[in-house]
Amino acid sequence: MPLFGKSQKSPAELVRSLKDAVTALERGDKKAEKAQEDVSKNLVLIKNMLYGTSDAEPQTDIIVAQLAQELYNTNLLLLLIQNLNRIDFEGKKDVAQVFNNVLRRQIGTRSPTVEYICTKPEILFTLMSGYEHQEIASNCGTMLRECARYEALAKIMLYSDDFYNFFRYVEVSTFDIASDAFSTFKELLTRHKMLCAEFLEANYDKVFSHYQRLLNSENYVTRRQSLKLLGELLLDRHNFSIMTRYITNPDNLKLMMNMLKEKSRNIQFEAFHVFKVFVANPNKPKPILDILLRNQDKLVDFLTKFHTDRSEDEQFNDEKAYLIKQIKELKPLEH
Amino acid sequence: MEVKRKNRGIFRMDPVPENTSFRTKSAKNSNVRTEIITPGVSGVFRQKSFGACDRQLSAFSSYVRAACSLNTTAGGIGNLFTRKMAVSANTSCPWPNTQDDYELRDVIGVGATAVVYGALCKPRGEKCAIKRINLEKWNTSMDELLKEIQAMSSCNHENVVTYCTSFVVNDELWLVLRLLEGGSLLDVIKHKMKISNCKHGVFDEATIATVLKEVLKGLEYFHSNGQIHRDIKAGNILLGEDGTVQIADFGVSAWLATGRDLSRQKVRHTFVGTPCWMAPEVMEQDHGYDFKADIWSFGITAIEMATGTAPYHKYPPMKVLMLTLQNDPPNLDTGADKDQYKVYGKTFRKLICDCLQKDPTKRPTATELLKHPFFKKAKDKKYLTQTLVAIGPSMETRVHKASKRQTGASGRLHRTMTGEWEWSEEEDEGANATGSDEEAADDKKPMNELQRADSSGSDNEEESPEPKANKVQNARPTETVVINLVLRLRNARRELNDIRFEFITGKDTAEGIASELVGAGLVDPQDSVPISVNLAKLLEAQRSSLQPSSKTVTFHLNSAGPNEQYDDKTLVGFAQISIID
Repeated sequence: MPLFGKSQKSPAELVRSLKDAVTALERGDKKAEKAQEDVSKNLVLIKNMLYGTSDAEPQTDIIVAQLAQELYNTNLLLLLIQNLNRIDFEGKKDVAQVFNNVLRRQIGTRSPTVEYICTKPEILFTLMSGYEHQEIASNCGTMLRECARYEALAKIMLYSDDFYNFFRYVEVSTFDIASDAFSTFKELLTRHKMLCAEFLEANYDKVFSHYQRLLNSENYVTRRQSLKLLGELLLDRHNFSIMTRYITNPDNLKLMMNMLKEKSRNIQFEAFHVFKVFVANPNKPKPILDILLRNQDKLVDFLTKFHTDRSEDEQFNDEKAYLIKQIKELKPLEH
Repeated sequence: MEVKRKNRGIFRMDPVPENTSFRTKSAKNSNVRTEIITPGVSGVFRQKSFGACDRQLSAFSSYVRAACSLNTTAGGIGNLFTRKMAVSANTSCPWPNTQDDYELRDVIGVGATAVVYGALCKPRGEKCAIKRINLEKWNTSMDELLKEIQAMSSCNHENVVTYCTSFVVNDELWLVLRLLEGGSLLDVIKHKMKISNCKHGVFDEATIATVLKEVLKGLEYFHSNGQIHRDIKAGNILLGEDGTVQIADFGVSAWLATGRDLSRQKVRHTFVGTPCWMAPEVMEQDHGYDFKADIWSFGITAIEMATGTAPYHKYPPMKVLMLTLQNDPPNLDTGADKDQYKVYGKTFRKLICDCLQKDPTKRPTATELLKHPFFKKAKDKKYLTQTLVAIGPSMETRVHKASKRQTGASGRLHRTMTGEWEWSEEEDEGANATGSDEEAADDKKPMNELQRADSSGSDNEEESPEPKANKVQNARPTETVVINLVLRLRNARRELNDIRFEFITGKDTAEGIASELVGAGLVDPQDSVPISVNLAKLLEAQRSSLQPSSKTVTFHLNSAGPNEQYDDKTLVGFAQISIID
């Protein structure tokens, strides 16, 4: 601090003046410009309190604890997120930094901010709806992914109706927003293995009917990314029962066979990793077996010529050889 | 199979039966890398990471070239006005995400996975640069791509390149960026060196101070954002016609978590950058590195602005690493004649010295550097329009160049060492080739950048692999001897082939041939370096020795997979170059 500068504001004062400024900004009255300035200024002060600056160390734990407590008491985090679109460019990033820092705060094994957000799930839903707005989408994404690291918060998001909005967000036309949404979506579906498996089992039909639309998307990136994630989900041992369910549906097999033939080599390759599960299944249901048998020769022929230049990928070649062998040996069920 | 070469001749490729007996081999120096490193250095530098770095480098560097030449169909002043007006009207209309809203104009840069166009955004009536990235060819994960775009979109600073929007068109990603029409700083340096005598320095101190101050402001912002750029150099600094200076190319920029988040690493461990500009701690890779790595590169860039090149630019990459690690930090006089750069004063030298301290903790931060007395010499944007933009390649040249680039048929599109496709900058082709060759001989261009794609294309087919060879050329410019050679190696399908080509002394260079081979798709980009080094060695041995020397060299290839059983007899993981009598 400069020697003759103003003495440092206490956390309570800071939080109060930030709150006043955001409220003024929200009202959007004549003094909006002044409010904007105050918001930015106070955000920087709070950020510096948490992160320190090149000249100053972060504040002591006591100060930080007071700050966090004030943030909870005033519900300022929610207010900030609700008004994120009104805050200037750097201020938006500061909000995300302050939010994430406070979120990571631990007292022993407890994460007080996580506990707080559990009581204020609106915070999560507001963040999720941030993907609707281009100018705040990536800031919200940054905060959401930090939230998704905590199982309790991930659970709230997964089991909410708002989760299904992700199927729309991942397809928006602005690539960086769609991709940001996709990485949050992926984080939610893969981070906490047990939670994810339970969720997918409990909501199998709803999730996979939505997922089907991603696989059929017009958008190349959506198609490629969602197919890759599907492969990862099905091959994760935690999701065994989801996988077995998925590979009994002949429509899924047909889709993968079509994707094997897509123009894009990347999509072909990802489709291969899902297709292989259908073939490797020792207990193929009749409809699946029928499709494979009907296409037996064609499939053997196709796979023999499939991505032959991947000679350096041993695992792929082993798997391919195994699939060819399996398909060659397929026999109709005897009844 | 025949592949047409740049100006003349062909590469003829013939399959070789497997049972062919091989000619004499000299596998003594088979590994190019170990050969260049002198004992004692190899322990510090890990070769493996180097290979990885090659690939990373190529990833995203071509935007820089966006600046190199811009076609403006409607002409200078009128355009300036439309742009200004557009800027004020902009806020109302966001950047659209549909292909139809953009009118593609000239190709201004070509990379391995991307082509950069000058374009018009129709609804906004504003020019922009569009980078079309082919996602099918994009081998790195989409996450990497996203990180990079996020790095760009999280920046809002007048000294950092402006990201507008991005959207998917079929299997391409279209990245819309602000267009800077003045070219890259490297373009201007090269141009100035071509048209005037820069022996005692390229730019005056005021110009250097003005540009560097802008760069520092960009860096300060970057660092405060938690980002490291990792590839600061003249080739990545773009100029607007109004004298704007922006840092571009986030290809290698990385996020660095700040604050007290201990769950994330605070230092980076990736090996990226361009050797001449690379800080010692980045090369060593032992302890990771932080923001200070950019300060080192900034110091090298300061030297570049004065001398036109980075120190050690004459040496191959591995040698640069060695010199950087072993020697005292470079300065203005490194590799220069005594008093050659005496026009530059003490404060400038002190600035360079401050930045180029081997201990990163001793280097100042960007914020501290901005207070350096040298920047008292800095002037405003307008000054740069006179000293930099005005002397840059003219609008006509750029239009001419760009329109020629678009035709794309000639061999001026060639592939760089890292697999980047790139346009050579030469203005003339075919008939005028001799003229530009002569020019190139005087042109002291860095030949050792790992990526040739660092700026608006370097004339690498004319560059010599060794400064020595350059001198030889200059000494006997008229002497041309045609040497017939054959390169025998296995293709991606492991089939053995002979590629026959001519080498004309005084015209061809080993490196040029290697890059042409890569450009023609005959050789894996990773093998460009061993091929050029060994070709140069073979030719040098021929030229210098009075006794008949070996006419064949067999050497290890970089592209060989790690699992392969190398064999220099059957040429698995090896290649062979022979001189045909």
